[in-house]
Amino acid sequence: MSLMDWAKKADFDMIFKRYNVIIEGPAIKPEDDPDVKKVLPKDEPFKSLAMAVIFGDAEKAVQAAKSALDSGTPPLDVIEKGLSKGMDAVSALYAKAAYFLPDIMLSADAMTAAMALAEQKLGRAREKKGTVVSFVAEGDPHDIGKNLVVMFLKANGFEAVDLGRDVPDKEVIEAVKKYKPVMLTGTALMTTTMTAFPRVAKALQEQGVSVPVFGCGGGAVKRDFVESYDMGVYGVKAFHAPKLAEAALAGKSWKDIRKEYPKIVGEFVSEYADRM
Amino acid sequence: MAYKDPDEMLFGHAKFPVQEHWGVQFGAGYVVPEVKVAPEAGTERNKETLVREMASIAEQAALRAVDIGLPAFMVEQEHVFQQTYHPDWGYECTLAQAEILKKYYDEYGVGAVLRQTVGDLRIEEKGGLRGSEYDNAIAQTVEECCKAGASDICAETMGGKSVLDYGVMRGDIKAILFGIGYLGSIDMEYFWKRTVAACAKYDTRPGGDTNCSGANTCMYVAGGLLGKDMAHTAAALARAISAARSLVAVECGATGPLKDCGYENTIIKAITGVPICQEGKNAVCAHSDIMGNLTCQVVDCWSNESVFHREEMGGPTPAVWLQATGYEAALMNTSIQTGNAKTLRDLYTFTDMYRDPQGTLLAYPNAYRVGKAIVEYGKDIYLRARAAALEASKIMMEAYDAKLLQLTRFELDTLRKYTSILESLPMEAEIFLDQCMREYPRKIPTFDPKSYGL
Repeated sequence: MSLMDWAKKADFDMIFKRYNVIIEGPAIKPEDDPDVKKVLPKDEPFKSLAMAVIFGDAEKAVQAAKSALDSGTPPLDVIEKGLSKGMDAVSALYAKAAYFLPDIMLSADAMTAAMALAEQKLGRAREKKGTVVSFVAEGDPHDIGKNLVVMFLKANGFEAVDLGRDVPDKEVIEAVKKYKPVMLTGTALMTTTMTAFPRVAKALQEQGVSVPVFGCGGGAVKRDFVESYDMGVYGVKAFHAPKLAEAALAGKSWKDIRKEYPKIVGEFVSEYADRM
Repeated sequence: MAYKDPDEMLFGHAKFPVQEHWGVQFGAGYVVPEVKVAPEAGTERNKETLVREMASIAEQAALRAVDIGLPAFMVEQEHVFQQTYHPDWGYECTLAQAEILKKYYDEYGVGAVLRQTVGDLRIEEKGGLRGSEYDNAIAQTVEECCKAGASDICAETMGGKSVLDYGVMRGDIKAILFGIGYLGSIDMEYFWKRTVAACAKYDTRPGGDTNCSGANTCMYVAGGLLGKDMAHTAAALARAISAARSLVAVECGATGPLKDCGYENTIIKAITGVPICQEGKNAVCAHSDIMGNLTCQVVDCWSNESVFHREEMGGPTPAVWLQATGYEAALMNTSIQTGNAKTLRDLYTFTDMYRDPQGTLLAYPNAYRVGKAIVEYGKDIYLRARAAALEASKIMMEAYDAKLLQLTRFELDTLRKYTSILESLPMEAEIFLDQCMREYPRKIPTFDPKSYGL
């Protein structure tokens, strides 16, 4: 019997189930999704701006922004009532696995390109929701997690200060003093580089500096470790970062966020199953 | 190709077995279990605490090996930053482990080999990949580990990672091909020529290199069936490309057993006949993959990947996880001794062959096909990486069309889109390089062409 003979006879359902295929619903247009409908503007030019972002079409987004601005739409409205709504829709689609990471990146690019025009007209950068400082632990070159965190923060209207990878503790501390962020994020792949997090937390405390939340995550990082030092909140997924920052903006402390993590990110999180 | 037919490939058997310390052979008719344990956080605070930690890991593993009657085993130590950055730390940590393993060999005759995997500390934007402080530290630490009694040396080099990461995040298959297949291969040649030359001065084998930083990043980002960050078909294409890249270590003189987390190793074994380490179901302590049994199919050294150094209910983790890999290796060795090995191999393979496109690609008959696509283009690092991806695409589409492999729309659409892009790429490496150099240095600030001699 060869593998191919087995393939003809076997009942695969008794060996595995591809649940991603099983649960997949019919293909629908993004604008027809009920959660997108809730946030999608009905009036022009905002609808076209949002749709260009949803489709990740930078060229169309720029055209729509230009035409809206030329016809006298206030630049802040272009951003808030059009482009940002498109990004909200993209987040909703990502949350339900109808959109994927590359889709978000393209949408973020479209939004950034169109927003640059609006900001030019405005004469200044749009006011951000808040500042977040992000770094990869000293001695650790693995930065894709940090890059994702930065991307999700920017896409959700935060100023993300990216310190890069293999960042010495003192640089992190200096940046916190300089930017006074609403959240600090640290990522690490290895057990021995993640020890930078308690060092940074301790040094901040010793210098009388605090951040509302110090979100820590990455390959080997686990919740019990992060909760062993003050300020630390274990971040499970990169896309949770903006929600944690928003919670901090709303006045939640790191203690509150630890307790309410699943509620704040709005989904079941295995790592916080005891706090659902 | 080292094998005329994929059916010749089997666990515990390699065309070119490798002998290491204490007579332990890889690929010589039996499977060797491996254990790898990450030091407890905080033990890296100074050399003494780290050396003690390393010794304790080795001794706990060796004791359990004897307790449960393992004929042979491998301890692999993946270096923490300090262990590679300070060559004297690397030396003393290796020496402490080598002495303990020798003690157990002397006392019980148990074959205990020691792999040292140096950390790739190099960062493109911080001094570059060649001749930087970090690069020099790695070179020196390799020598120190050989000197201190390492049985073999491995690495997980990071060449091409800045471009690869960009490709993953943007869904850009050309960047993935350029990052892993082109830049990764260039850096591998730089790194492995030097490493092979260093090992040749000692009784230490140059093991090999895994594309952990590339294809495993893709596998990790792709995640489980509910993952939404990368299509599993795209992760499978990256895996095929990584085989063309990881092959470079062997071309430079690496002998195997290739490093455990190189899921591309089945393809490289098909091409070169070197023994391979692999991980799967006994690496659940480290991460989740969707092919836990399949990776046993042609393995020569079966690993747990990594685990924290701590106590489990069944004892310290070096003991517990060596026991897990040890019993799996014993099952494979029993099947060899009783004439049932090929049946067991096929059971391992079939369990996961259609669970996920990544398993479909790596099932040994298909991995063999990817190997053939690679060798057709000889040493052209671009064309062979591209050919590997295109063959992988063909394999997945055939399985899908035969209704054996189920794909989501996202997986299928991504596969079709990426295939079409790959097909449209030029047939000359120079033109491809020119296209990429016009695009990626501009888009990726951390990409340093000089690190690749470009």
